[in-house]
Amino acid sequence: MKEPLVKIRDLSKLYPTGGGGFLALSELDLDIPAGAFMALVGPSGSGKTTLLNIIGTLDSQTGGEIEVLGHKVDTLDARQSAALRAEKIGFIFQSYNLLPVYNVYENVELPLLLLKMDKAERHEAVMQALKWVGITDKMKSRPNQLSGGEGQRVSIARAMVKRPKLVLADEPTANLDTENSVNILDTMLQINEETGTTFIFATHDQKVIDYMKRVVTLIDGKKAKDDLKTGN
Amino acid sequence: MLLKLALKRIAGNGWRSVFNILILFLVLMGMLFIQGMYDGWMRTARRQKEEWEIGAGHFEHSNYDKYDSFTFKDSFAKIPDHIQELIRQNEVVPILVFSGVLYPQGRMTPISIKGIPWDQALLKIPSQMLRVKDEYPGSLPTVIGQDMARTNGLSQGDLVSMRFKDARGVFNAYDIEIVKVMATPVSSIDESQVWIDFTVLNSLVALQNSATLFILKDEATQLNLGSNWRYISQKKSLEDVLAMMKADQAGGYVVIALLLFLAMIAIFDTQILAVFKRRKEIGTLIALGMTRRQIIRLFTYEGCLYMVFGTILTAILGLPLFIHLGTKGIPLPQELSNLNVGGFSETMKSYYDPLTILFMLIMVFVLTLFASWLPAAKIARMKATQALRGKV
Ligand SMILES: Nc1ncnc2c1ncn2[C@@H]1O[C@H](COP(=O)(O)OP(=O)(O)OP(=O)(O)O)[C@@H](O)[C@H]1O
Ligand SMILES: [Mg+2]
Repeated sequence: MKEPLVKIRDLSKLYPTGGGGFLALSELDLDIPAGAFMALVGPSGSGKTTLLNIIGTLDSQTGGEIEVLGHKVDTLDARQSAALRAEKIGFIFQSYNLLPVYNVYENVELPLLLLKMDKAERHEAVMQALKWVGITDKMKSRPNQLSGGEGQRVSIARAMVKRPKLVLADEPTANLDTENSVNILDTMLQINEETGTTFIFATHDQKVIDYMKRVVTLIDGKKAKDDLKTGN
Repeated sequence: MLLKLALKRIAGNGWRSVFNILILFLVLMGMLFIQGMYDGWMRTARRQKEEWEIGAGHFEHSNYDKYDSFTFKDSFAKIPDHIQELIRQNEVVPILVFSGVLYPQGRMTPISIKGIPWDQALLKIPSQMLRVKDEYPGSLPTVIGQDMARTNGLSQGDLVSMRFKDARGVFNAYDIEIVKVMATPVSSIDESQVWIDFTVLNSLVALQNSATLFILKDEATQLNLGSNWRYISQKKSLEDVLAMMKADQAGGYVVIALLLFLAMIAIFDTQILAVFKRRKEIGTLIALGMTRRQIIRLFTYEGCLYMVFGTILTAILGLPLFIHLGTKGIPLPQELSNLNVGGFSETMKSYYDPLTILFMLIMVFVLTLFASWLPAAKIARMKATQALRGKV
């Protein structure tokens, strides 16, 4: 059997706090195969963001093991994890996190600059990504001139432009209305199906959950349910 | 790549960038202006002192102490024959110094009486006016400086009586006539002194051809005067002027420091006041796969590029102004030139020394570098997950 894209064994995360620390994740086992389109759900404070951050190599676990794209997260140094993120992991944030001083085109182009891609190649990839999310006409706009839906579509384009293996989206629809939510979910599902890119969401949003092929429920940092949906 | 991103940041910052660049431009202009004016002033002051008082260097009698008039009666010697020729050629100007007392409007004023050959052409003192044509003139033509005139209420055409002891210690008195109040910017040939003809002073004090000082036209002139004389180089003579100016420059440094501070604030403002804004930005850049080093470099470049643009703007807009100041100068208001401070002549010309300019640019550059590096380094040390939680 093929190795999963993300392999989690007995993972725990202890945040250092006043009284002995806060256990945000514990006894977590999870395999996420390539091509997944799945969500982490659960009540507020259940550890969704914490897990997403560890998968995204922005943070590391305090116990257990996690392998992402074949790398043990806790053995990567800052440089290696930066390289892994730059090459293979895309992030989509609740508040889009577009860089305000750059215009849409430049925001989407930035990940490619980090990969030292040449100009022509970059241009093609940026235009392709903007086309995917249907925002080509706004490419000279500044982030503060975009609507919420447009902003999130730009951030999807930014995550997708380098053709990552894995996209992590933390509450991507929390600031969007139904129409825009459905819109970007359609876009992402389409990308998932066309390119096989793995998507992991963290969400409370039922609209998002309805789109998922798999839903993992966390409660108090533990895996409570793991539903594989069929017919979707 | 980072440089390009930094450039784009500046372009993207719009008015804020313009504002920063303008501030840096003003700071650079201000610094260059102050420094240029100061250097110009210094050069003028040195030149004036050279032209009016010290020439290219001078010899003085070893007993002579210009601050102690009691030394004057012992600090002269007969001019050696071999120097006469040099004096005739205007290569050397002898000056005899005696002390005396003046009675302007009945008040007693101690003075130095200085004798300078009326036909000398080395120093700017208008000595031609000192020429005595009659053998026994009723009064002696005398030139004084404007400070001397002001403090003693003297003006051209005034007759004043002057008392002095001659070389034998005999008291003597003579009337002098102020034939000219010279507008000299060098107070050390002005305050408490009167200028008369060299030969006339010699005969007044019952001497012949004796001098206290020899002013040289050319630094290299050898006088072979022997051990009774001491050589004072131009540099040494200027030391007290330089000391005075150093003190004045301290004031200039305060202004320069303030200007630098302003520049730092401009950079810091973009870089540090926006820490909370930046937090999220930096978190995002980390998520996108930038290393901390790259992020620090990006923001440092940004700060430095402001400086580069400020410098370019200064070069473009400032150059004509500084060239004007350096060649034409700015006229000083009458009150200021009346102050008669060394170096303050009618027009102030600034002077730009390439090394000084380079030094100042490097100084501003290093400070800018530091001001942009520091906040970036601070923020980039934060944990990525924490940075990401920052508000937009
Ligand atoms: N840096 C930290 N230090 C201490 N505790 C933390 C830290 N970050 C998160 N926590 C705690 O860990 C728990 C899990 O947080 P996390 O952000 O993963 O929850 P979440 O499931 O994403 O919640 P939400 O749905 O509200 O986003 C919370 O109780 C939170 O207070
Ligand atoms: Mg969360």
